[in-house]
Amino acid sequence: MEFGWPKEHVDYRRRVREAINELLPPDWEETYVRESYASDLQIDFSREFCAALAERGLLTPHWPAEYGGSESEDWQHFILGEEMKAAGEPRGPQYMNVNWIGPALMKYGNDEQREQHLRGIASGKVIWCQGFSEPGAGTDLAALRTKAVRAGDKYIINGSKIWTSYARKADWCFLLARTGEGRKEISVFLLPMNTPGISVSSYPGLPKYGHLNEVYFTDVETPVSGLLGEEGAGWDIVIHALSYERVGVPRYHTGLHALDMAVAALKKEGRFDDPIIRSRAGMIAAQFEGAKLMTYSVVDQRVKKLPPNTDANLSRVAALEAVNELMNFIVEFLPDCLAGGHLLLDDYYRVNVPAGVTGGANEVQLDLVAQRGLGLPRMS
Amino acid sequence: MDFQLNDDQSALVSAMRAILLDHQDIPQSQKLDYCYFHSALQDVLQESGFLNAAREVDPLAAALLVAEAAKIPPVVEVGASALIAPALMPDEVPEGPIAYVDGARLDKPHRNLAVAKTAFVNLGEDVAVVSIDEGDVERVETIYAYPFGKFVRKPDLTRSVIASAGATATQWARVALAAEFAGAAQAAIDFTVDYVKQRTVFGRPVGSFQAVQHRLVQCSRLAKGAYYLAMKAAWSKAPEDAMVAACYVQSEVQKLMYDLHQFNGAMGVTTEHLLHFWTYRLRALQSETGGAHGAALDIADSRWGAAGDNGRREC
Repeated sequence: MEFGWPKEHVDYRRRVREAINELLPPDWEETYVRESYASDLQIDFSREFCAALAERGLLTPHWPAEYGGSESEDWQHFILGEEMKAAGEPRGPQYMNVNWIGPALMKYGNDEQREQHLRGIASGKVIWCQGFSEPGAGTDLAALRTKAVRAGDKYIINGSKIWTSYARKADWCFLLARTGEGRKEISVFLLPMNTPGISVSSYPGLPKYGHLNEVYFTDVETPVSGLLGEEGAGWDIVIHALSYERVGVPRYHTGLHALDMAVAALKKEGRFDDPIIRSRAGMIAAQFEGAKLMTYSVVDQRVKKLPPNTDANLSRVAALEAVNELMNFIVEFLPDCLAGGHLLLDDYYRVNVPAGVTGGANEVQLDLVAQRGLGLPRMS
Repeated sequence: MDFQLNDDQSALVSAMRAILLDHQDIPQSQKLDYCYFHSALQDVLQESGFLNAAREVDPLAAALLVAEAAKIPPVVEVGASALIAPALMPDEVPEGPIAYVDGARLDKPHRNLAVAKTAFVNLGEDVAVVSIDEGDVERVETIYAYPFGKFVRKPDLTRSVIASAGATATQWARVALAAEFAGAAQAAIDFTVDYVKQRTVFGRPVGSFQAVQHRLVQCSRLAKGAYYLAMKAAWSKAPEDAMVAACYVQSEVQKLMYDLHQFNGAMGVTTEHLLHFWTYRLRALQSETGGAHGAALDIADSRWGAAGDNGRREC
C-alpha cells in the first residue's frame, strides 16, 4: 500500500493539461457556462476538440493498438477523464464513444461494424447518443418497452427514449430495444439518427437546456446488419459496456474545484473569516478527499484485474453525499449564485441536480452494496 | 498508488492478527464492564516489537497495526506508542502505555491515562514528557471504552520538554485516532451486520429491511473512507492529510453511533452485548485534538489561508 503518483502519471497528467490549455478557446469557460456542455454549440465544438486530441494520441489511448490506441493502462485513462471533467468535459458526448461504445464494438461487433465505426470514433468526429432510458424504464432498465420486430432482412422499431442527452446532434444511436417478451430479451441496434421515422424533441429542466431530450421511433426500419451481437444478447452487452464506466464520474474532482470557487466568492464578500463557514467548508473538503481515495482504490483494483466487487458502488455513494453537502453549502452561504451571481457555481449546482439518479439511482447502489457487498438478505 | 497491502505489510498484519486472536476474549468476570484493558496483550505487543513498527518500518506499518488492534473488544494502547512517540522521540522509546494529554485541559480525565506510564502533554507550542508513578493518577469511572484517568496532582511539565513539538504531536495524534476509528468502526459494523442477519422481527431478518440496509451501507462508506484517509496520512506524513483524516472520522461519529445502536436494538444498550466496546471507543475519540470542528478549521487554514487572510491567497 502506498499513495504516491509515479512520475509517468505525473507527466501524463501534465501532458493532458497542456493539451487542454492549448486546445480550448479563450472564451471556453464563458461559452461553456452560457451554453452547457450538452448544447449544440458544445457538441459541435467536440468534433473539433476530439479530432485534435486524436492527433495528439489523447482520445483513445487506452484502446488496443490495432484500433489506433496505445494500450495505456487504466490509471492513465482515469487521469485523462479527471482532467477532462475538471475542464468542463470538452469532449462533450464523445466521452461515451471512447469509454464504452468503442470497446463494446470491439468485443461484440463483426468485422464490418468494427471497420465502419471504430475508425470514426477514433477520429473524434462522430457523435453517438445512448438510447437506454424510457419514460417507464430508467434505473429498472430491463422494463424498457421500445420494440424491434424482425421482418425479413430488417427490423421495424417503435417506441420512445427519454433523457437522451446529445440526441439532437447525434449521428448514431446505441439503441436498446426489446426483441422478445422475456424481461431480458433485449437487443442492441446501431442506428443512424437520420433514419426516417426518428424524431427528437427537447425540453427544459433544472439542468441546463440540451440535456433533456425525448426520441421517438415510429416504424423505423433498420437492416439486420444494424444488430450488434446476437439477437437477445443486449443485456449482456450493456452490462459489459457499462463495466467500463463503473468507476463513474470523478465528482470529487469537480467538487473540490467548485468548493474552491465558493470559498473565493465568500472571501470576496469578506465572509470567509466566519468560523462556522470555514468549518463547514473544511468538512466538505474532507468528505471529497475520502470519496477520492475510495474511487482511486477502485481504479487500482481495475488496473490489477481483481474480481469485481461493490467498492465502485460505494465510492459513488460517498461522492454523492459530498456533492449534496456542497450544493447545500452553496445555497446556504451564497444563495445568489443560483440567481445570476456566479455562473460557474450555478452551472455546478444545476449539472449535479440529477447526480443521484444518473447512471442508476443512488438507492440501487445502496441495495447492491447491502446485498452483494455486506451479504444482507434480500427482501422476500 | 497501490491500495493493496504488499507482502511485508500483509505479513505484519497477519502476525498481528494471530496475536490478537489469542487475546480477543474478555474474562467472564469483566464481560459486563464498560472497558476491558488487556494488560497481558499490551505486554506482548510491547515486548514483541510491534509498537516499534514506525521506527523499524514506517508510520504506515504502524497505522495498519493501530487499526487492527482496535478491532477486538479488549482495548490496548497502540496509537500513542506506535505513532506519536516515534514522531516525537525518534531515538528513544518511552515507557508505555502512553497517554496523549491536552495541556489546556490538564485537570480533566484523559484516555488511557489510568494505565499510562508516560504522558505526552501537548502544551501547544511544546510537548512535556511526563513519567507517571503510582499515585500520580486516579482512574475515572466512565462509559467510554478506554481506561480514563486524571492527574491527582499537577505533573511537572518542565523536567522533560520537547521544544516546538506541539504541532507534530497534534498531527500524529490525529493519524492515530483516525486509524483507531477505522478499525473500531469496521469491527462494530461487522458485528452489527452479523447481528441483523440473525435477529428476526415481524418474521424476517432485521437486515432484510431496506431502511436498515441503506444506512448500514452508509456506515460502511464511513469506515472505508476512514481507513484509506488514515493510512494515507500515515504514509504521506503530511499535516494536511492528518487534519482531513481526523475531520472525516470525527464528524461522522454521531451517525455511526445512532445507526449501529439502533440496529442492535435493546441488546445494544446492554453491556451483555459487545457493541459498546467499539462504539464507545468512537465516542471517546470524537473530541480529541480539537474534534471535527478544530480539524475542519485547520483544513480551512491550510487550504484557503488563515482567517483574516481574505483574498491574499489564490484559490
